[in-house]
Amino acid sequence: MRSLTSEHAVCLWVPLFPLRCEERRHPELVHIPTALLAPTDTRRLWLVSASARRAGVRAGMTVSQAIGLCPALTLREPDPVHYDEAFTQLLLALETVSPVIEPAELGRVFVGVDGLERLHGGPERQLDLIARTVGGGEWSSGTRHVRLGWARGKFLAWVAAARARPGAPLVIRDEDGAAFLRHQPVAVLPIDGSTHRRLRQLGLGTLADVAGLPEPAIVSQFGREGRRAWQLARGLVSEPVTGRERPEPIGAGFDFPAPIADRSMLAHAIDKLLERALAHPRRTGWRVQVVRVRADLEHGSSWMAAATLKDPSADRARIALPLRARLDASPPGGAVEHLEVEFVSFAPGTGELQLFARDAESAARSGRHRALTAAAGEIRTRFRRSRLFHVVEVQPWSRIPERRYALIDFEP
Amino acid sequence: MVAHSRASLRIDRLRALNLPRAAQVAVDDRGRPTTVDDTTVEEVLETWRIDDEWWREPLVRRYVEVVLAGGAHIVLFEDLQHGAWFAQMP
Repeated sequence: MRSLTSEHAVCLWVPLFPLRCEERRHPELVHIPTALLAPTDTRRLWLVSASARRAGVRAGMTVSQAIGLCPALTLREPDPVHYDEAFTQLLLALETVSPVIEPAELGRVFVGVDGLERLHGGPERQLDLIARTVGGGEWSSGTRHVRLGWARGKFLAWVAAARARPGAPLVIRDEDGAAFLRHQPVAVLPIDGSTHRRLRQLGLGTLADVAGLPEPAIVSQFGREGRRAWQLARGLVSEPVTGRERPEPIGAGFDFPAPIADRSMLAHAIDKLLERALAHPRRTGWRVQVVRVRADLEHGSSWMAAATLKDPSADRARIALPLRARLDASPPGGAVEHLEVEFVSFAPGTGELQLFARDAESAARSGRHRALTAAAGEIRTRFRRSRLFHVVEVQPWSRIPERRYALIDFEP
Repeated sequence: MVAHSRASLRIDRLRALNLPRAAQVAVDDRGRPTTVDDTTVEEVLETWRIDDEWWREPLVRRYVEVVLAGGAHIVLFEDLQHGAWFAQMP
């Protein structure tokens, strides 16, 4: 696959992106202390809102510690599928500005801007366009948290975005890059926590301190990572934004030994073909946005159905749903001899994200949640109120047994 | 345990679980429970005492974790302020 690159980059960063997604869905959360539970351990906090931080709540704390510090804290279980879809929408919006898009992590993305001057003007206009593009869509309520930085190379653009205030993008022109970096704290370097700690212990607080050392000295202390840190601090490294061309359409077909007219068999065949097409290596890292089913019918005629997914997906059931609806609404006019499924258009998928890498796992979580919601709804209808509860740990270490666990209404 | 929903979880919506219930407890001369609601105590596993929350409504309790005839495993406590016995799950 050919890569697209761009020397100059805009870094778009939405700090605490999952929390912002929750606030977008539930605006009432904006004004109250909120925390998201960790995706892998729901007894611990993952992300904490500013008002909860003011109450002393920190990421990584247990739920009981956090509630002890801030009794009004609202906790939410994470919804990785939703955050992933929201991020995909953000990437799709940015692709209308530039074809060179490189997601770094959930809520942080680099946009290649080389060549955009002729279309849109200088850096300020490019940033304005990106801000308007992101702000014009579904993500508009989150724009007050968006930080934007324009610079040469991803590192400098990221530091600029980290220093920018929401609504006030920061442009670092090429000639100002070295001077800008000198005053930045070593915390901006993409190195591991122990190296950060050692740098601080050695009294190296800013990038100027690191850049002022002889290269052999820092390499002897920190090895390869130290060399990279030193080069970044001196502005010697400028990594371009690397986008990817969207894959060519992916297809999977099947010849029936005898023509088939039965709709349930056709639906089953579509499922199998979707599975085969999803397993195609070219599909990795991409979600399907437009899918098409074509059928050659006996007597030489044909049939076709297409669907555009509002939320691009790599989940077979989600892709199959609109196709099944079309199959029911306007079935083929005769028996099918050859059936073919084709993914025509794609959106960047979870394969590129660091946090929730496995589509299947996310889809399974989403499916379980849908099933629970339906079951809870039936119970509420039957008994007129929810009879479902779940158990949460409050003070599991307590010597007073009734303080250890509590019940809470189960409301999916 | 049921899977956690994405619903908001507020401290004011929590209901205490495993609340103690009043129990009729007979003790021997060393204060060790011998019967609970007419069921014989087979074994005393552990005892502990709590003096807590003196700044509001003090909790002064003597806990005894026991195994009853038939194998049931429960926790008893004596409210040392009011003299009543209670039982709950461990």
